[in-house]
Amino acid sequence: MTENGKKTIDLALNRVEGDLELKIEHEDGVVTNAWSKGIMYRGFENMLKGRGARDGLVLTPRVCGICGTAHLLTAAKALDMISGVHLPTNAMLVRNVAMMAEHIQSDLRHGILMFMQDCLNPAYVGLPLYEEAIHRYQTFKGRSVVRTIRMTKKILEIVAILGGQWPNSSFIVPGGVASVPTFNDIVNCTYIINNFTTWYEEQILGCPLDRWQQVRSEQELQAWLDESDSHRDSDLGFFIRFARLVDLHRLGRGHGNFLSFGQLELPEGSAVHGHRDGALLLSPGFIGQGQAATDCDQELVTEHVTYSHFVDYPGGLHPFDGQTQPYVSPYEIIKYSFCKAPRYDGRPAETGPLAQMLISGHPLFTDMIAGGGPNAYIRELARLTRPAELLPAMKIWAGEIDPEAPFYQSVREIPDGRGYGLIDASRGALGHWVEISRQKIAHYQIITPTAWNGSPRDHDGVRGPWEEALIGTPIADPDNPVEIGHVIRSFDACQVCAVHLLTTDDHTAGHSRCLRV
Amino acid sequence: MLARIICIGNPFIAADAAGPMVYGILAGCPLPASVNLVDGGLAGLRLLPLFEGCNQVIVVDAVEGFRADPGVIILDPATMPSAPVDYGHQAGLAYLLQAIPHILDPPVPEVVVVGIEGPATVPVCRQAARLCLDLVGSENGCPCRPESVSAG
Repeated sequence: MTENGKKTIDLALNRVEGDLELKIEHEDGVVTNAWSKGIMYRGFENMLKGRGARDGLVLTPRVCGICGTAHLLTAAKALDMISGVHLPTNAMLVRNVAMMAEHIQSDLRHGILMFMQDCLNPAYVGLPLYEEAIHRYQTFKGRSVVRTIRMTKKILEIVAILGGQWPNSSFIVPGGVASVPTFNDIVNCTYIINNFTTWYEEQILGCPLDRWQQVRSEQELQAWLDESDSHRDSDLGFFIRFARLVDLHRLGRGHGNFLSFGQLELPEGSAVHGHRDGALLLSPGFIGQGQAATDCDQELVTEHVTYSHFVDYPGGLHPFDGQTQPYVSPYEIIKYSFCKAPRYDGRPAETGPLAQMLISGHPLFTDMIAGGGPNAYIRELARLTRPAELLPAMKIWAGEIDPEAPFYQSVREIPDGRGYGLIDASRGALGHWVEISRQKIAHYQIITPTAWNGSPRDHDGVRGPWEEALIGTPIADPDNPVEIGHVIRSFDACQVCAVHLLTTDDHTAGHSRCLRV
Repeated sequence: MLARIICIGNPFIAADAAGPMVYGILAGCPLPASVNLVDGGLAGLRLLPLFEGCNQVIVVDAVEGFRADPGVIILDPATMPSAPVDYGHQAGLAYLLQAIPHILDPPVPEVVVVGIEGPATVPVCRQAARLCLDLVGSENGCPCRPESVSAG
């Protein structure tokens, strides 16, 4: 299609459902504009209104099939705040270990099963590393793929063990956790963490965790890569080599604003210490275009709808005042997404593992960003190596759970009031803002990580983070824009929360042996 | 013989609500101890552990394009030739079923898909529930016969 001499491409990004679409405008082989469209109305906020005070604990984990524990925890934290409850140490420990299990499986499934899948794109046939990529990442045949699915399945069993229920675990409640793991359960979890760590060191890093943690600058990263064959042959080593081969560092710069709500509360007396002073292992904060990290103040969060399919209001509204009234008109020419546009202090912000590392002051990522700004390579590097930050603390915390001590502080009724739960889910900042009145939900607003990263334009016409990150992306073949896939997947786009139909696109029905009933 | 019925889907999305509706019907039906009923929700690949430690798994889900008219259909994953499905956030039942022989240690259970094509009406979901009970009934002495299944 030609528009003012420029060409446009419409892409359905989620391969089955198509609930995320991109419109790309390009000229002379370079992206000049982009629009990110969430094409499905979610509406959980309206479903929750008028329901029982605790119903968010059951309904919001259904927002996402991958981040169910994160939504459960966020919903519970909002009610913790309203109830004014002081959590027992065991509750913090169990919540932390379960969340870490979800992060680690998500990071590695995304990295190995999704991001590295793009190394097999036909655009790369003939490149020196292509055959190696096939050997590693071919679906169900690649050696890294099979081992990653097996090991991430194992680490996730920790949530089932600690929660006593799988799937749809609902063990996190206001006041703590409803399950009481036994001594044997804790030993079992520790065994899983140890086994997983050994595998992660061998396959993903190619070195012990403490060797990786010595890498504190881009120069040291190069020295690490050159140090041994096991480093170069690991999945991380392959990722770095491939990323350099295809110039991944030249893709996906973006606004340079980063947001983290922080996560993983540090229990009193724990042997685990945070990266910065504070109550959390990974710090909350905001970084605006190369400036130092500042504290995160949820009062500065707003949502805009000028370009979203919702009834208009001027400027942005804080989530406690948020409105979710879907509005679609055939005459509408401005609105293009069912995502709202969240902003922090009026600015778009990317969120996820890279934001977390930068705000927590991780020296490697701070050095890399200082060298050339954010890009798709650094984002994915942060995701693949985040488990190295989490696993040591996870092991310590699992060992600090005391089966004889309380796991729950009684919360009989949720009083009237307002509260919020803010965490970093696997893909970044997740917030639930809740108001309870007379034992019922009077107001509920959810802002997911992908709403931040994949937001449409705001009231001032400023693009969302990955819309901006696409500007300047070179496209060698408009019929196979693999470069765009790299940029979007570096944010780990997740717009699903929706339909999972088995279709004949997945299975060839005409060749199936089917029995009609 | 341990059988597991896993109902998959999203109750908040009409086009994907069939599995949860069948779950609701079966949850009101007495099942023998040798039959587990699981609300699989949107868990996708996270359901892999539920294919271990049992002899038979019946997966109930909405399907599209497997029969010309609305209704219930039994699909045998073992005889469904297909191109590999790539993993993604949307990777649902297709990826899960393809993963089983590659990931799980033998013996893997017998897997049958009870698919619901078209609108998830109460009569169609009841029919699917009856079919699930038929499939597990002969081996498990299921006391709840198909004709006794009521509306969910």
